[in-house]
Amino acid sequence: MNASASSSATPALHMVGVRKVYRVGDEEVVALDHADLTVAADEIVALVGPSGSGKTTLCSIAGGILSATAGSVVVGGEEISGYNDRQLTTFRQNQVGFVFQTVNLVPFLTARENLLVVDEMGRREGKPARARADRLLEELGLADRAQNLPGQLSGGQKQRVAIGRSLMNEPGLVLFDEPTSALDTELGAHVMELIRTEMKARGTSAIVVTHDERITEYCDRTVRITDGVLEA
Amino acid sequence: MFLALKEMRRAKGRFGLLIAAIGMLVFLILFQQSLQNGLLTSFVGAIRNQSAPVLVYSVDGQRVIQGSIITPDLEAEVRADGAVGAVGRIGQGTFTVSAGGEAADATVLGYEDRALGAPTALTEGRYPDVAGEAVGSDADADDGFGIGDTVLVQPGGLAITIVGLARDVQLNAGPTLFVPYETYVSAVRSVNPDAGQPLPNVLAVQPADGRSADDAVASINSRSDELDALTRDDAADETPGVAQVRQSFTIIFLLYGLVVPCVTGLFFLIITFQKSGALTLLRAIGAPAERLVGSLLFQAVLIVVAGYAIGLALYTPVSQQRLGGIPLRFETGAVLFWAVALLVLGVGSSLIAARRVLAIDPIEATRGGANR
Repeated sequence: MNASASSSATPALHMVGVRKVYRVGDEEVVALDHADLTVAADEIVALVGPSGSGKTTLCSIAGGILSATAGSVVVGGEEISGYNDRQLTTFRQNQVGFVFQTVNLVPFLTARENLLVVDEMGRREGKPARARADRLLEELGLADRAQNLPGQLSGGQKQRVAIGRSLMNEPGLVLFDEPTSALDTELGAHVMELIRTEMKARGTSAIVVTHDERITEYCDRTVRITDGVLEA
Repeated sequence: MFLALKEMRRAKGRFGLLIAAIGMLVFLILFQQSLQNGLLTSFVGAIRNQSAPVLVYSVDGQRVIQGSIITPDLEAEVRADGAVGAVGRIGQGTFTVSAGGEAADATVLGYEDRALGAPTALTEGRYPDVAGEAVGSDADADDGFGIGDTVLVQPGGLAITIVGLARDVQLNAGPTLFVPYETYVSAVRSVNPDAGQPLPNVLAVQPADGRSADDAVASINSRSDELDALTRDDAADETPGVAQVRQSFTIIFLLYGLVVPCVTGLFFLIITFQKSGALTLLRAIGAPAERLVGSLLFQAVLIVVAGYAIGLALYTPVSQQRLGGIPLRFETGAVLFWAVALLVLGVGSSLIAARRVLAIDPIEATRGGANR
C-alpha cells in the first residue's frame, strides 16, 4: 500500500516496503506490513487508526526509535534503515522532534531547561541554543513560565513546552504521538492550532498520530492504518 | 554535568541527606581509626617506641613484660648467642605514686642502657643523667607528670623527677616513666624493702654487627625453649589484647566499608527507578546512554567527595582531643586510604544503577514509560 505526497521537493520522510515483525514466543506478530509512506517537506500528515493498528510503531520507525525488520526508511534524504543503536541515537538528536502521547517533560528541569537539555545532550551550541530556547518559549506564549518546573505548569502549558522541545534541534520532521489525548476538547484544538502554526512557520513536516477524527482538520492529509496496513 | 547539577539543585533535601549520612559515616570511620590507633599506642607505645631492636621474654611471661622473668641462666644463654651484640636488662613494675598531689598508678620501666630500652626520641627535655630522674609520656604531662614534676612512689616515698618527655610511650594506657635501671630497683625496694635484687623482666638486645634483628630473634629462639625473642614491632603487636582490639576494629571498619556502598548504591538505584520516566524520555530524544551514565557517576563522585569533606571537617577538631586517657591523633594515612576506598566503593556501587540506565529502551517513551 502506498500513501504518497504530491510535493516533488525532497520529502521529509520516504518509507518503502517497511515491515516490523515482533517475535512473541514461537509466534511472529506483524505490527507493520509493507508500509509505503511519503511525507513532503512542509506537509502535516494525520496518521489515523484504532488502538493497536501499528500507528505508533510506524511513527517510532520513522523517528529512529525502532528499527524496521525490512524495508527502506529515508528521513530528510538520510537512509536510516541500516543504522545501529548509536547511529539512531545521533539521528534522533539531530534530525527529528518528538512529542509523546502524554505530557513528558523532565520533572526536575524548568520549562527553559527542558528545551536546553536537547542541546546539552546533543550539539552543545551554547549561546545560540539558549537564544533559540528563549525565542521558542516566547512564540509559544511561555516566556513568563520559563523558570517554572513542569509541576507548576498546566496540562496545556506542558504540552506547549514539549512542542518547543521538539523544535529545539530544528528538525525537518516532528512526530506527534496522540498530542491531545490528555487534554480537553478546547485545549486540544488550541494545541493543534499551535502545532500547525509552528510547523508551517518553519516549513517543518509533521506526522500526527491520532485516533481522533477531529484532529485531521488541522492536517494537510490523512493516512489511515488498520492492522499494520496503510490504506491507499 | 548539566543534568546532574540541575537535579541535585532541585532535590537539595534528598541529596543533602545522603551527603550528610556519608559525612557521618566518614566521621565515624576516621574517629574510630584514631581511637584504635590511640588505644593501641597507649597500650604498647612504650614497647614500639623504645630503642632496643629485639626484646627477649621468658616463655612463661606470655609476652607480657611484667609477667616475664629472665633468670641468670636464661640471661647467660642470650649473652652467649653469636647473633647478639649488646644486651641490657629491662625491669617493669606498676606502682602507686603521688603525682600533682593525687594518687595514681604508674608504670616504671627501668633500662640499663639508653640504646637498649629508653624512648627513641624526646619531644622535650633530656634523658636521665642520674638515678631518680625519668622520662615521662607527654600524654600525662598535665596530670603531674610534666618536666620538673616529682612523683613519689608509695609506700616508701622514693622521689622520681621528670626531666624529659617522649611521645607515644605509654604502657597499659597509664602514666609511664622510663628510668635508669637502678632507679627501677630502688622503686621495687621502696615498696618492698625485702625484695633484694629483682630479676629483669626482659632483655633488650642489639644484634651483633652484620646481623639483623630477625637473625638475632631466630638465633635466640633456637637456643632455648624457655626464651621468646621478638623484634620491637612484633613485641608490640603480639602483646596480649592487641590483636583482639585490632580484629574488633577491623570488623567494625569492614561493616562501615559495606554500609557506605550499600547506602550509595541503593540511593542511586532508587533515584534511577524514580526518574526512569525522565531517563527514557531523554534516551528517546537522542541523549546517548553514556552521557546519562556519566551524569549519574558524576553525582556519585560529588556526593562521596562532599560527604567526605563534611566527615573530615567533623573529624579534624575531634582528632586533636583526648578521649579519657587516650590521646587521639589526625591519621593522615587513614584519611587518604578511606578517601580512595570510599570513592571507589561509592562509585562502584552506583554502577548497578548505571547498568539500569544502559538497559533503558527508548521505545518505552511511546508506551507511556516516560511518565512512569
